[in-house]
Amino acid sequence: MKLTFPHMGNMYISVKVLLDTIGIDYVISPECNKKTLAYGSPHSPESICLPFKTILGDMLYGIQNGADTVLFGGGCGQCRLGYYGDLQRVIINDLGYDVNFVFLELGEMSFKDMIDKLKPLTKGKSMFTIVKSIILAIKTVFFTEALYDFSNYTRCREKQNGKTDIIMGIFHKKLRDTRGYSSIKRLIKKTKAELKKVELKKDFIPLKVALVGEIYTLLEPFANLEAVKKLGNLGVEVHNHISVKFWVVEHFLKKLSPIRLKNKPRLAAREFIKVDDVGGHGIETIADTIGAKGKFDGVIQIYPLTCMPEIIAQATFSEIQKRYDLPIMTLIVDEMTGEAGYQTRLEAFVDMLERRKQLQEMDLVNAKSGMSELS
Amino acid sequence: MNVIKKEDTGLVIGIPKALFYFQHNLLWESFFKNLGCRVILSEDTNIEIMNNGIKLCGNENCLPIKIFHGHVHYLADKADIIFIPRYMSLNKNEYTCPQFCGIPDIAPLNIGKDIRVIEVRLHLDKAVNITVDSLKDIAFHLNIDIKEVATAFIKALDTHNASIKKDEKAIHGSSSSEEGYSHNIVVLGHPYMIYDRYLSMNLIKKLNDRKIRVLTSKNLDYNTKRENAFPFQDKVFWEIGLDNLGSCFAYTKNKSISGMIYLTPFACGLDSLIIEFIERRIKKESTMPFLKLTVDEHSGEAGFDTRLEAFLDMIS
Repeated sequence: MKLTFPHMGNMYISVKVLLDTIGIDYVISPECNKKTLAYGSPHSPESICLPFKTILGDMLYGIQNGADTVLFGGGCGQCRLGYYGDLQRVIINDLGYDVNFVFLELGEMSFKDMIDKLKPLTKGKSMFTIVKSIILAIKTVFFTEALYDFSNYTRCREKQNGKTDIIMGIFHKKLRDTRGYSSIKRLIKKTKAELKKVELKKDFIPLKVALVGEIYTLLEPFANLEAVKKLGNLGVEVHNHISVKFWVVEHFLKKLSPIRLKNKPRLAAREFIKVDDVGGHGIETIADTIGAKGKFDGVIQIYPLTCMPEIIAQATFSEIQKRYDLPIMTLIVDEMTGEAGYQTRLEAFVDMLERRKQLQEMDLVNAKSGMSELS
Repeated sequence: MNVIKKEDTGLVIGIPKALFYFQHNLLWESFFKNLGCRVILSEDTNIEIMNNGIKLCGNENCLPIKIFHGHVHYLADKADIIFIPRYMSLNKNEYTCPQFCGIPDIAPLNIGKDIRVIEVRLHLDKAVNITVDSLKDIAFHLNIDIKEVATAFIKALDTHNASIKKDEKAIHGSSSSEEGYSHNIVVLGHPYMIYDRYLSMNLIKKLNDRKIRVLTSKNLDYNTKRENAFPFQDKVFWEIGLDNLGSCFAYTKNKSISGMIYLTPFACGLDSLIIEFIERRIKKESTMPFLKLTVDEHSGEAGFDTRLEAFLDMIS
């Protein structure tokens, strides 16, 4: 049996650890690129969202390279992501491939369902190995996340532009051939050490921007046209709350834990939308945007064209901007998005934030000097 | 008789003639009439309502949502309170489009006027009690006793259910040779697309004028639709999706049907999946002619008619 699974940002690193430790053979398609899209989009419905097309492309690549089982987990609420699997199965069967599908619908599933669904994959493996590999995979999620966060920190502060990108590029290249938990962990540590050596500008306070929006487009650099990198190189520190870590914690760990905690940040969204769920991560988008006030200079929302939950979230933004005095920009991506226009919009937004910050500081200085004149 | 007694709440409730109206008009109209409120409806969709809606609403929304905004805007000055129900789930395992969950909040935000909105929440899959809570809210806002609100709601529900039964029977009893109809054509799509005369460019009337009987998902009973809803039988899916999938595959078995038309608004999230399932299965398993018509605010009626005529020529 050979497994394949679609990409979602840096998630493949942890899935690699998981499958290596259990001892399942797999094919990973190359990181999402134009070719992936060209594989997927001819067979996709025309007005479906971008993730469907790239995910289908990943699956087809894997199948054409020897995989006989497709693993795919996704979807919560009434978002279309939860229904991808059923249609992709039909499409792949229509194309004449005879493969097995394992779809994990995390929104509705109990732990027992999940074990049942994974059983055919883990035939002949002891329960101990499975649990161990799940724990190691989750650990990897946290390591990887920390590395990416750190690279976001250095990228906007580095003296010589592009150093961070080079180090991360090498990391990705080496990762292809690295297998097993301990060697991946070592690689991550080594990369982090390299990043620490990057010379940083002193006394430089970068602009801070929060990314919100649809999870796949946020995490997949190809889908968002490397917004994180582009912003970082413009000298902006980027934070992304909706990450693989968030996904694992929210849809996996919290599901397993017997304690149900009140989700306080989510409740903030009640100010605008009086329900708990509008599908996907629509409520998180609103809550994160409100939470960005005071911590960030601006917010950028990214979502694929026709994404329903994010359209709802976007409708509240004009009011949030007014009430919280927070600049928000929305970027909508699909396979037709031009890179130059995209870059221009990011630059314009950053320029605007910079000017705003300057004016605010000037106001502060003026207010202070005014005070001293008065006294 | 007690209806006359309560006629004095004096409140005017506005119900927008869009989205949910085409499925549940009787339910909500009779609910508020039972409560003794005066109900006004917005006009049928027209160019002015559409243009207002487009101006007020976000660019990314689908046309029916934009038009809904136009209807709410129309009612804003005319009614004391505007009623926008919040549909989250309409049955076990059946959800609605995410837009329906957000619309009671989004519409006032987008329109920007000071609008009083009341809502009834329906989440029949997981939390039936929130409907009761929202009825309590209504009782509080309208200053009516909760028991009366509850009885009014149940009475309205009966009226609604009776009308659904009537719709199902209406076509079942008759065959295509009656009343001079030459063909049967199935029109699929969201109820707020196919029954809104402006949005659908009068599709149903155009077909009727050509001596064609129109069948929709209204003419099938609930169980038939759910049993045929490939591949989502007994699974969690959208309510409208199940309706359309189910009616499509139930009608394909019917030999007297000569063709199917699916009317969809541009960029509809649900339809992008549903139509793909339908097209792929119809191609594989039957010879049913199938036409997909996409409309948005820029659609020209001439082009629409040409496509329709070409399809009808092919059938007859």
